[in-house]
Amino acid sequence: MANYYDIDDVLAEEEILPVVFQQAADCFGLLDSSDDTNEVEAGAKAELPFWLARDLHVRGVVAVDVPPYFRKVSRTRKEIEADAAHVDLRGRCQYFYELGLKIAPLVGDKTIGPFLLVAFQTRYKEVLVRAHTAASAVAPKHLTLLTNEEAKLYEAGQLSTAAFKKWRMGGPRLQRAPVLGRKRKPIE
Amino acid sequence: METGAQDGSSGYSTMDDYESLISTTDAELLKRAWQNEKAAPQILRFEAALIQRSREQIKLMEETVGEFTRNGIDPLTVSLYQMDLDRTVFLLRSYLRTRLQKIEKYVFHIQKTAELWNRLSRQEKRFAERCIEDMEKHLDQSVLSKLPSSYKSHLKQSSSSEEDDMVPEPRLDTYVICRSKRFLGAFQLDDRQFPVNIEADDLYALPYKSIKPLVETGQIDLV
Amino acid sequence: MASQADAHAATFSAAELEFLAEDELIEIVPNMRMDPLNLICGDFGPFRPQIATQVPVWLAVALKRRGKCTIRPPDWMSVEKLTQVLEAERDAEKFQPLPFHYVEISRLLFDHARDDIPDIYMVRSLIEDIKDVRFHKIGTGLEIISRERTYALRLKNLSAMEANIVRPFVTRALQTFYKLNSPDMIQESDSVSNRQPQTANRGPRRQLKDR
Repeated sequence: MANYYDIDDVLAEEEILPVVFQQAADCFGLLDSSDDTNEVEAGAKAELPFWLARDLHVRGVVAVDVPPYFRKVSRTRKEIEADAAHVDLRGRCQYFYELGLKIAPLVGDKTIGPFLLVAFQTRYKEVLVRAHTAASAVAPKHLTLLTNEEAKLYEAGQLSTAAFKKWRMGGPRLQRAPVLGRKRKPIE
Repeated sequence: METGAQDGSSGYSTMDDYESLISTTDAELLKRAWQNEKAAPQILRFEAALIQRSREQIKLMEETVGEFTRNGIDPLTVSLYQMDLDRTVFLLRSYLRTRLQKIEKYVFHIQKTAELWNRLSRQEKRFAERCIEDMEKHLDQSVLSKLPSSYKSHLKQSSSSEEDDMVPEPRLDTYVICRSKRFLGAFQLDDRQFPVNIEADDLYALPYKSIKPLVETGQIDLV
Repeated sequence: MASQADAHAATFSAAELEFLAEDELIEIVPNMRMDPLNLICGDFGPFRPQIATQVPVWLAVALKRRGKCTIRPPDWMSVEKLTQVLEAERDAEKFQPLPFHYVEISRLLFDHARDDIPDIYMVRSLIEDIKDVRFHKIGTGLEIISRERTYALRLKNLSAMEANIVRPFVTRALQTFYKLNSPDMIQESDSVSNRQPQTANRGPRRQLKDR
């Protein structure tokens, strides 16, 4: 696994998913604090983090349901269709795209992919324009709507634009490291 | 190691390559090696012969500059030779340092992948071995020795892991910007794409893995 | 998503591109006599008063700063040529061909050889305008990525600095598009639903953390 230490990947798997137990299970009482027995019946609903839900789903213990914002008929989908750029996706799920990429193959929902793509296509343009033009006048309001990936993208554009402007303003170019003037020691 | 990358070269001939090689200075080659190494997500083959020659040139030039100074050659000339020397030294240092950074970052992955391990120079191998020793010792002392016996590996999450699933690797699907010196013709990016025509001297943004063979054979340069 | 590519994003600094640009050749007219220089990067000179010769930009700037030469601005840096480029740049959707390092070289000459550039204010403002028009076009060009399913992007006639500025954004965005367009996500795949019962029986093998 190439991205074991990738903090964003770890955090994306912390996102909570609704699940339905497919079979009665022992030792899951912890998940429901209102219940003092240690059992869960088949058909019981619960909310689990993705990493746990995936594992239980693969074993057939639970069936993962997609979170409301990925459902075929949902307010989020309608909003994205109407005015994608101004939808508060961060409020729905900070790891919207990352989680979507993980959940779609798991539940075999082929409508999630195109939905994510449409959302990213439309919102990408807004991020593009703001990242390379807004200079330092960051639009804080817009930033609060962005998911983790979109915010990173924005930041990438901002940083390189700022670095270029700094270079163009001038100042000491290629700073000479103090050691450079000195005689180099033999290699071996 | 990965699939989907096809060698899409047409019009490539070793003769062209030979000609461009003899007409290209080592300074030019070093610059190219530096750019490729900086832009590639993965460690590239160590340019042993080139680096050897560059070191010799640097040494020679240092001697020349020293001699000029002793012989009272005019300071302007000396300073110009010194600047040329400084520029070459910068390239060499930055090239070596870029590689060390990659080695440090992906040391376990490089260690277990023979193809990559063989790309390192003798000194780099020594460096990698020491890195590995230090990392293993550090992980062991700070965490692993305190865990139950099936979780003591620094490569595997647990003893039931089928593969080394805790080893960071460079992402080969990273996009890079590249440029070819000659027309490469229709190039198949991957199986779900129309071929891309790679024209001479144009810039393209492509996934590294799709052009990896072209980078490794020097047919395309990363910029 | 592309988080491991972060460190990779800032591949070259502006100063490093300037370093590369300094190897481009430019014409100088020396006002002194100096023997040929046999440098690692090539042989230059001999230098004779009033006799033009080609040297790398870094060498030209070094001599200029010591008052040993005048620099002849490259052809493309004339008011006439730049006016043509600016007009064409405004009219056409395509990028006009300019030297790969035009941004870096023009800055170097503005900084170090002001008195050698005729109509420097005009030249400077033309280059600024050209750069602005081109950056605007880059923006529109990149919007296209989102309209078409683009995996490979051709950056025809984009200069080194321009490509470097958009690199972190573009490479990251393309990577995300690429992932969202993957067959797993877009096409219907039977293997997904078939996989479940098989893996369900695989027993205790368990990944602590999976992809």
